[in-house]
Amino acid sequence: MIRMTYQFASSRHKWKFMRKYWPLYALSLPGIIYFVIFRYVPLFGSVIAFQNYNIFKGIGGSAWVGLDHFKRMFEYAEFVPILKNTILIGLYDLCFAFPVPIVLALLLNELRIMAYKRIVQTVVYMPHFLSWVIVGGIVVGVLSPSTGIVNHVLSLLGVDPIYFLGENGYIRSILVGSGIWKDSGWGTIIYLAAIAGINPDLYEAAQMDGASRLRQVSSITIPSILPTIVILFLLQIGNFLDFGFERVFVFLNPLNSENGEIIDTYVYRAGLVDRQYSYTTAIGLFKSVVGLALIVIGNKLSKKATGEGLY
Amino acid sequence: MGLSLVLAAGLMTGCAGSNPEEQKPANEQNSGEGNGKANNGGTPAEEAAKEPTKFSFLLPTTVSSGYHTRIPDLNKDKWVLKLEALTNTDLDVKVMEDAKYGVMFASNDIPDVVGSIGGPGSKSMSGSVESGVFMPLDDLLKEHAPNLMSAVPKAAWETVSYEGQIYGIPEFLKSPSRRATYIRTDLLEKTGLKPPTTVDEFLEVLRAFKKLGVETPYQMRENFKYADIVLGAYDVLPYKDQFELVDGQVVPKFFDAENMQKALQVYKTMYDEGLIPKEFATISSTDFTKSIEAGKPGMWSQNASGLPGYRTTVKAAVPEAAVDIIPSPKGPEGKGGYFLYSPVVRTFYINSNVDKDRAIEIVKFFDWMISEEAERFFSVGIEGDTYTLDAGGAISYKFPATKEEQEEESWRSGTMWAVHDATYNRLRLALNEDGKATLEAFDNVLSQEGLPGIGFYPELNAFSKYPDLAAPQPDVGPKLIIDHMVKMIYGKEPISDWPKVIEEYKAKGGDEIIKEATERWNDKSGAVMIEHEN
Repeated sequence: MIRMTYQFASSRHKWKFMRKYWPLYALSLPGIIYFVIFRYVPLFGSVIAFQNYNIFKGIGGSAWVGLDHFKRMFEYAEFVPILKNTILIGLYDLCFAFPVPIVLALLLNELRIMAYKRIVQTVVYMPHFLSWVIVGGIVVGVLSPSTGIVNHVLSLLGVDPIYFLGENGYIRSILVGSGIWKDSGWGTIIYLAAIAGINPDLYEAAQMDGASRLRQVSSITIPSILPTIVILFLLQIGNFLDFGFERVFVFLNPLNSENGEIIDTYVYRAGLVDRQYSYTTAIGLFKSVVGLALIVIGNKLSKKATGEGLY
Repeated sequence: MGLSLVLAAGLMTGCAGSNPEEQKPANEQNSGEGNGKANNGGTPAEEAAKEPTKFSFLLPTTVSSGYHTRIPDLNKDKWVLKLEALTNTDLDVKVMEDAKYGVMFASNDIPDVVGSIGGPGSKSMSGSVESGVFMPLDDLLKEHAPNLMSAVPKAAWETVSYEGQIYGIPEFLKSPSRRATYIRTDLLEKTGLKPPTTVDEFLEVLRAFKKLGVETPYQMRENFKYADIVLGAYDVLPYKDQFELVDGQVVPKFFDAENMQKALQVYKTMYDEGLIPKEFATISSTDFTKSIEAGKPGMWSQNASGLPGYRTTVKAAVPEAAVDIIPSPKGPEGKGGYFLYSPVVRTFYINSNVDKDRAIEIVKFFDWMISEEAERFFSVGIEGDTYTLDAGGAISYKFPATKEEQEEESWRSGTMWAVHDATYNRLRLALNEDGKATLEAFDNVLSQEGLPGIGFYPELNAFSKYPDLAAPQPDVGPKLIIDHMVKMIYGKEPISDWPKVIEEYKAKGGDEIIKEATERWNDKSGAVMIEHEN
């Protein structure tokens, strides 16, 4: 990526420049205001992680308790398994779900018949618009040992029905797999846009040189979208511990929660159900700090390795 | 992180002006003056000339749909207008989902009268009663609501009290036994068996159903919700209000390891023999309802008030179906049935900023709700509109036919009828056959069964410290317990390990729960014995 920094001769010049392009600055205002009000101001609310917060007393009136809530979190007997689940599921998601949209986008890009490409594209990104409750219902139905199609096929092959959601061993695959089904099509959009931005001259030149389709993909398409991949990868790392509450909650039951329970579902159970604002904020803060650390490290490594980074 | 930010954002707005004195109920000044004039005027004020009492009135719901969402301005709704006319009030009615109360309290825009589901310690009340947002009502009630004082059961008053003072007016249950065992009588007749009275007979009937080809002999469901018939028979329900006194200690009923193991063994038998669905751990309430309405199960557990509904829906799916409520099968100790409900369904609180004159009128307003006039209005509506009287004074009621009309009825007799005995609506039920059968079930079956227990209002502090050991809902057990129970039924853990589960519960914070429960019980502070009123 090429970076340009404008050097102004004097502050007067700068002012003039800004006046000239004022509509652009005005356009950016709503976004900036949005981020300040809804993203930065609420950050100060995180102080309740260090209080015993009571909504009727407010931040000013609630008692300060220091790191008590963090201590309680680390002392919680199930904390290690829950953290382990969160990390493992996040890791599987990164390994298996992250590359899928890239591959899908490359495949879609190779389709020749425009109408067919459009139809496929629409079909694969439609599930994104379903809520997790519905996706959960569909998956539970499909995997049902008595009425599900998967077990029906298995029984034709002579395999005994498997209660997929009733086994600890399957839950992580189901969680990651359902995410791939729901969101990978949607994820292709950004890659397809990046692919569309590649200069066609490059392909033309490659064809002249006798490069095959595969060679074109590996030598032109992938290197060209690499910056996009890196940026999305770094953003994904930042959300490493935020697998999402709903998408896990709809699949959890007593038979699989040992491997399926993650921090988000625990926060829901302990906090929102039970009004423990401070405790759950402390957990949220912990997740955010881990996310920030991962993003900083990831960015450093990526800059060293590929020269690309978020900032 | 997203979650915590949203939460924090809500809290921040809540902090702006969190001083309770600063908030003024919307109508305070106006109506205060109005009342003063009416009462202190030189001429003898006639009742009819008295100005209506103005107050804002928040009603809770659990759903985001229904009649109230179709009415653009509830204050002009015909039922609200009629209620105002009957009670000489000027209401500003609002309806809110119970789950959104936290946001309302955080924003500090609190109506004059707030109704909420459950008692003062409920989660939706967000600790507002403890924080002094609402006024104590003891004196007002004694002086101005004599009917309520005598009609509401003692356990209900205890439930709505905090530190010895009454803070709310309850919608109460005189009969806390609400759930019943349903059976398809037509199928039972085919088997030639008698209705089961014991757990063994219950299993025999289920096996016979299975032989007949009934898909689901007993309709099981995730987390044992509405599927706790066996737990009831052995009296080991793991619920919030199911503590009992054993050797001077107040402990959860599942501490009875012997009976719990027997109950689990029965469930395991049902699972192994296919008398319950193999995938019951993932059967949601939607699947459960669908299955029953499709006429698949031979027996199931549900609220007794659902009888007329089941007779209609099951018959629609299976024309020869006959649905009845039978006495629940009894365990070895002769116990049976389901948990007894907390005697409080909803509670209505008066904002502590309401002046005394208006508070008196509000209390009278609720006192009126248990009068005969109120019963007739809320049950069957307005004469000439929804019902007519014949010469003998018998009511002929225009039964709701469409979904819209049903919702309108439930708005009037469910949501709006704030304070009354919510066990059943005798006036309405006595009007047709299925209703009469329901009344009969309540009077003859349910009154004879159900499991009493000790409950805590407000909840034990230890519960919020150990969420895994606290019941997330009144009819769902703690996660730790449910997890082990389900695993044992699926054969992933031996049932003989139950004593170890109790040890695990104790070690993970259960000891603290038992200690606090025992102390609260001994001190008589917010420990309520929930039992049949006799």
